[in-house]
Amino acid sequence: MLRSPVNVTSTSPQAIQTARPVAGPYSHFMDLSKGEKILEMRGITKIFSGGVVANDQVDFDIRAGEIHALLGENGAGKSTLMHILSGLIEPDEGEIIIGGQQVRIGSPQDALKLGIGMVHQHRKLIPAHSVLENIIIGHPRTPIILNKHKAKKEISQLAQSFGFEIDLDAKVWQLDASEAQVVEIVKVLYLGARILILDEPTSTLTPPETEQLMSSLKSMVKQGLAVVPFITHKLPVVLDISDRITILRNGKIVDHILTEKADEKWLARKMVGKETLFDLHRTEVELGQEILKVVDLSAMNNKGFQAVKGVSFSVREGEIFGIAGVSGNGQFELAEVLMGLRKPTQGAIFFQGKDIKRTSIKKRWSLGIGYVPAERIEVGSVADFSLGDNMAINLYFNDNYCKWGILNFKKIYQDTEASIREFSIKTPGHRAKAKEMSGGNLQKLILARVISCRPRLLIVNLPTQGLDVGAGEFVQNKLLELKKQGVAILLISEDLDETLSLSDSVAPIYEGQLMGILSRAEADKQKVGRMMAGMVRSSE
Amino acid sequence: MINWEFCVAFIQASMIFLLAATGELVNQRSGVLNVGLEGLMLVGALAAFAIAAKTGSPWLGFAGGMVSGGLIGLLHGFLSISLKADQTVSGMGMWILALGMTTYLGQPLSGPLPGDGRLESVIAGLTPMFFIGIVIVICVWFGLFRTKYGLWVRSAGEDPSVAVVSGLNVTRIRYICVVFGGVMGGLAGAYLTLVYNPVWSPNPTMGRGWIALAIVFFSMWRPEIMLLGSFLFGFLWHLAISPSALQFQGIDLSYHFYRMIPFIATIVVLTVISSKKISRIIGAEKPAALGKPYFDQD
Ligand SMILES: Nc1ncnc2c1ncn2[C@@H]1O[C@H](COP(=O)(O)OP(=O)(O)OP(=O)(O)O)[C@@H](O)[C@H]1O
Ligand SMILES: [Mg+2]
Repeated sequence: MLRSPVNVTSTSPQAIQTARPVAGPYSHFMDLSKGEKILEMRGITKIFSGGVVANDQVDFDIRAGEIHALLGENGAGKSTLMHILSGLIEPDEGEIIIGGQQVRIGSPQDALKLGIGMVHQHRKLIPAHSVLENIIIGHPRTPIILNKHKAKKEISQLAQSFGFEIDLDAKVWQLDASEAQVVEIVKVLYLGARILILDEPTSTLTPPETEQLMSSLKSMVKQGLAVVPFITHKLPVVLDISDRITILRNGKIVDHILTEKADEKWLARKMVGKETLFDLHRTEVELGQEILKVVDLSAMNNKGFQAVKGVSFSVREGEIFGIAGVSGNGQFELAEVLMGLRKPTQGAIFFQGKDIKRTSIKKRWSLGIGYVPAERIEVGSVADFSLGDNMAINLYFNDNYCKWGILNFKKIYQDTEASIREFSIKTPGHRAKAKEMSGGNLQKLILARVISCRPRLLIVNLPTQGLDVGAGEFVQNKLLELKKQGVAILLISEDLDETLSLSDSVAPIYEGQLMGILSRAEADKQKVGRMMAGMVRSSE
Repeated sequence: MINWEFCVAFIQASMIFLLAATGELVNQRSGVLNVGLEGLMLVGALAAFAIAAKTGSPWLGFAGGMVSGGLIGLLHGFLSISLKADQTVSGMGMWILALGMTTYLGQPLSGPLPGDGRLESVIAGLTPMFFIGIVIVICVWFGLFRTKYGLWVRSAGEDPSVAVVSGLNVTRIRYICVVFGGVMGGLAGAYLTLVYNPVWSPNPTMGRGWIALAIVFFSMWRPEIMLLGSFLFGFLWHLAISPSALQFQGIDLSYHFYRMIPFIATIVVLTVISSKKISRIIGAEKPAALGKPYFDQD
């Protein structure tokens, strides 16, 4: 429990009468003028059991009405610092001061009582439950006998006041990533958070959704809420909406700055600690034979609606085929159908001329199709396995690693170590467990794993999601290198700049249909943007 | 012939399944598997029988059965929640322990229950415990799906890490649920020896606990389907021991054949129901974290 009774004991049931985020028991937020310090972390140090110093004497503060961005490379210690603030991890050293008094935050409940709520980098929702159930679980004011009707009304009002649309009756497994993200934000607000910690809030959001979220955040701040979004890689977003920026490197604070004084180059240099080069090494190669051919393919999404509608295209050796689109337009379903994770309702898929519509997933891997899912953490890795074992999961059908059913662990571990070095993954070694890695580093590992299978066709979803600037650029260069080696790549990305700078052909997708296929020369940003929004269709 | 007497007997038989399965459903929903259900019932049966025989009060007997079942549940909880032992292994241990213990301790009590320890019927041959049992099942259904505590239980069974982030105490929730499962298992055992068949002989449950366990899986963790399943198996079970109720014309099957019916039915029903197609129609799924111990952040 809390050592000091700051405002926790004063939480009377009447004080939480309304679900409006403004009112609440957190009086220490109410009478503060903008800019006043409401929360301070002093000398926070956290050393994990493996000896990793995730936070080293960190001082950090949050002021009323500000949006405070926390920046840093993958593994810099951002999530750890925020987990300490939200009661998930206890620091080894340091103190947290709220409203002038020292508090101990021993659990997420304690944090919520103090008005601190966190939306995590990895989704924390229960897929089998409905959205409503997910939101009201743990709310102190939920009556013993659930009054779903009343709760629904309150929550939709709350959501609407910030401009969010959510379907409360849907089951969470039916939602796509961005919808789930919104549910989590609404949940934390409904629980009464006044300091809303967002860990990578935009990494799964589409540009319009990001904009929507950012304007919602701004309106929250106006209502007296302090917000800490923290965004590693989308520097333009940081510059656009934040008031103040704190930069972490290797667990230490390297700088604070007011956003108006910062620029992108400076931030990138501070984060990495050296001058960064924004440079892609693209070499044109002769496109080879056709590797993947998709004819008139259709499929349903989880909700049972037609998500992919009669899509046809082909990808050749050495070609990067970019599907540009806002998420939720069928691109993920398309990727899943190609990999065999989802059944097509019509159409045909040819891999090197052979129909693979009925081929199993495992067979597709051994034929040379590699797949990087968008939900790398949830789908792509086993949290309790070591990094080496996580690599092995994907290599058992590869003759180089597995003979007569016996895995060559020595080689797997050696290659894991090699990948760790090549991708500069921050971890003590292949024995570390996946759940002990920072979000971005785990992403890199899964990419490395797929690439080490030497696929002939690589299907990659959101390759740079959650990666810092340097790592993102490294991955993009890696894709270009694979292209040079003749790998056919199907690139699915929401970052239009990324798609345009990497792809040989660009196909904007809108509501499950390809709006046309443009060559690299034809594809300019405005044209593709308009096609993605469904406004024009290419004439062919 | 099927007459009212047969019906009363089969309803009583069904109640045993229903009570045991209800408890097991709750602890499985919270993520703890207790395969030692048969053992819980044995302990409850013996405690209830002994107390009712000594004191002459069936109500004290029921209370004793529930308390002893709850204690075994608590032990299972301690092993599987606090010590994070394998839940199946621990549950098996509970059964073996109970089987040995009740056989040994029950030896001197062998024989029928003295008349004043039995529960008199109140309505049409049904005892008050029948009605109390039905009320309990309805409360569990309501509790699981209409109250916040039910939501907590279901969340602990689906994803404990989410439940923790949402401010719930997963350890406490799971403890309460296994103890509840134990109490209900004990009650089912008490029902067996005080109402259904008031005689003590070694291993009086004869596999009923295993069938109740199967009913929980068969119900896809939904109380309303479980209610149906319990009555189906109660009917089959009772038919098996009194096949004369249904005399098939010209077919004279051995008594052993009838005894097989409930067990064969279990296998068939479980196989059919657990197929992907059916479970999709029912729209229910196994609690995602069932059987997995929860480790706190370390
Ligand atoms: N539970 C844990 N056990 C051991 N080490 C851990 C654990 N959690 C994190 N770490 C280590 O602490 C360091 C900081 O991790 P953290 O998750 O805070 O990084 P981050 O800044 O959020 O990075 P990203 O941008 O990749 O999400 C990393 O080196 C990581 O490997
Ligand atoms: Mg992180």
